[in-house]
Amino acid sequence: MESDIDDHSPLTVAVPQSLSSDDVESLLTGANIWDRSDPIPFEHVIGNSPEDLSNSAHFSCCLLPSDPGREWLGSLIRLNSDNFIECFDGMDLGDLCPIIGSDPKSKHHLLVCLSTRSAYHLPVARKFVTALRHRGLIKEATAPAVEMAVQEAFANSLIHGNLALTTSGRLSMDRFNELGDETKKRLASTTYGDRAIVLTAKKRKNGHIVISINDQGAGFTPRKETDETTMPGQESTFGRGLPLIKSLCHSVTFARGGRTIKLTFDQIESDVLSADPAFIREFDAQGSIDAALRTPQNATILIADDTMLSREIIASYLRSDGFTNLVFAKDGEDALAQAKAHNPDLIILDIIMPKLDGYEVCKALRADPQFAETPIIAQTALEENEGRTRIFDDGATDLILKPLNKAELIARTKIHLENRLLVKQLRAYRERTQSELDLARDMQENLNPAPEQYRGTGFDYGMRISATFQMSSELGGDMWGLVPIDEQRLGVYIVDFAGHGLGAALNTFRLHSLIWSDQIRDPDPGAYLSNLNRHLKGLLPIGQYATMLYGIIDRNKATFSYASAACTSPVLGDSTTGAARYLDGSGVPLGVIRDARYETREVPFDQNSFLLLYSDALIETTLDDGQFLSEEKLLSMVHETVMESSSDVDLAAQIADQFMDRAPVQLSDDFTVVSLQSANGADGFTACDEPQ
Amino acid sequence: MNYNTEQTDKTTTVELTGRFTFGDHSNFRKLIEEMRAHQSETHVLDVAGIEFIDSAGLGMLLLARDEGEKARATVILRGAQGQVKRMLEVARFDTLFKLED
Repeated sequence: MESDIDDHSPLTVAVPQSLSSDDVESLLTGANIWDRSDPIPFEHVIGNSPEDLSNSAHFSCCLLPSDPGREWLGSLIRLNSDNFIECFDGMDLGDLCPIIGSDPKSKHHLLVCLSTRSAYHLPVARKFVTALRHRGLIKEATAPAVEMAVQEAFANSLIHGNLALTTSGRLSMDRFNELGDETKKRLASTTYGDRAIVLTAKKRKNGHIVISINDQGAGFTPRKETDETTMPGQESTFGRGLPLIKSLCHSVTFARGGRTIKLTFDQIESDVLSADPAFIREFDAQGSIDAALRTPQNATILIADDTMLSREIIASYLRSDGFTNLVFAKDGEDALAQAKAHNPDLIILDIIMPKLDGYEVCKALRADPQFAETPIIAQTALEENEGRTRIFDDGATDLILKPLNKAELIARTKIHLENRLLVKQLRAYRERTQSELDLARDMQENLNPAPEQYRGTGFDYGMRISATFQMSSELGGDMWGLVPIDEQRLGVYIVDFAGHGLGAALNTFRLHSLIWSDQIRDPDPGAYLSNLNRHLKGLLPIGQYATMLYGIIDRNKATFSYASAACTSPVLGDSTTGAARYLDGSGVPLGVIRDARYETREVPFDQNSFLLLYSDALIETTLDDGQFLSEEKLLSMVHETVMESSSDVDLAAQIADQFMDRAPVQLSDDFTVVSLQSANGADGFTACDEPQ
Repeated sequence: MNYNTEQTDKTTTVELTGRFTFGDHSNFRKLIEEMRAHQSETHVLDVAGIEFIDSAGLGMLLLARDEGEKARATVILRGAQGQVKRMLEVARFDTLFKLED
């Protein structure tokens, strides 16, 4: 793995805190999956949950604890790594090793290795596809088909492959129940339950994505399907689902004696700019080479014409106006070769030429990204309309008629060179603006507390705090933070400025400095917001406003008191029952009226309570079912998440993970979710280790 | 997959939610037992809250239908949306079930 880097540089590995160092050591050194001859130095980065691990650092590999649960499965999206491997007892990867420790030529873009026992209960296909979306490997539009195919193929490999269960034929209820019992038994056994399943994804140069699912079962010989597109109905209810898979993929192939299934998906709509980083790099390199082009006269001009006399005439016209970097081509093929060799700023092209005519040259040049925007002036004696329009269809920028007029040739040459220069300057300007916006984004992101900060603060107050923040494609207006008041009282705020873009971002900076200045020291949330509003109203231009919630958790009094300026309704719940309800979030937004009054509301907050704060992106983003997350659905999502994982869970991270599975990768608004959970002594917080 | 059953008159309505996939064996088994106990004339499986179903999930729906037939009850699938609707179409479930919007 990672054999493209220096053999002596250490590999950074993300390691869950729950793993013993012996287990980690034996997996990393013993499993023979790293194709390096020397012992490999490893650098461990340890985290209690994926939220503790940096999402900006790159990990060569991310280890998952045995039975990773949804929490660690979420690391597929949260962490920057291509390899996720469960560390489970009794693992014998055997002939899966070559797949995991792939050779550099066939290096995968994502790999997940799980034990059958863990994989059976997790939404692996869904998370895998979400991870592919977030890595830009598949498009939003193809994701549903990919998920369905991966789900079927994965289920087959797991049930028929690793668990060796037979489900063919018509299924009766009795048989179904037997099957369920047998499944439980086999999952618990070391023979079947310990078998590994490996999912990989790789994007080919042609844009196709190949997903392989590899098991350790007995393999099978795929039947010849007579009808590949229809699903079996009544018969084979639990069937291999192969016809369905085939109907969703470009192609399906098998390897390793039927223990590997490979699904290929083609992605029809091409999106050259975003899809091909090699092209972008080339484009950038070209830009810097041409930076010397300050005045049109420095330009390199290619003159392609089959008669020497014509070439000389054009050259003499151009030279007389100061153009001296001239390159010549004597036929169509030569034109392409000279263009490649000299990367001209402008091409003057004859249409009637031997070998390749001007039409073909034009087409070939335009097909090459390097010459996609190079001005091409076609010159021709043809006077029929058909020839003229055709050369424009093939990509010429302009047309000039023979016999050439000197003034016209020079005028057109200059205009096209100047246009090219302007486009380049515009692009450079746009790039600079973009890099400044990126800097602003980083700064804005830093207004929010980092995981090690809020984890540590939470620990001080006997709470488990979790947060997920994702900026929209532009700059946004979300912000949250913690304000320790004294030993017993912790303040928390969440802010959403109206709109996004530079204006909203600047306003978050304004508000942030107000919050952290000494001007506002009211101990009561209502008075605090009223005071903050007065200050902010003076700073904000008319028409700009923010929603905000400020609250205080008092451990001594076991209360949460808060005031809200039109914030989304916070969710208050109980970790033992999962029951949750909305609190009143009503109030005038900040910055609207100078003398707005804010009411302080108080609710009990004891050792079983949790609180969930969120920005409206959570409930106002169109999900994969075409709808927003309704109030009711959010509550049941919270309920199920809490009940599934008891109180020992990063609630906000779990809610965010489920949201990301169903929301588009590019959000149109900032997304913030924060949870504060009492870590009740019994099984909650004491089980966690001290923060780093 | 989670579910809620409700019985009114001679109809049992089961609201299913979440992902309905191969791992939902035991929940589904419980559901069938509840449906058996109700002895209704009509069983409505409301799948509007199902986000995702795989072929094993479809298989379980067929089992529910078989169970209904045994008890001479009508089984109706209601409210399929998005991916679920697509799967039901691909599997030609319109020929096997009474489908309602």
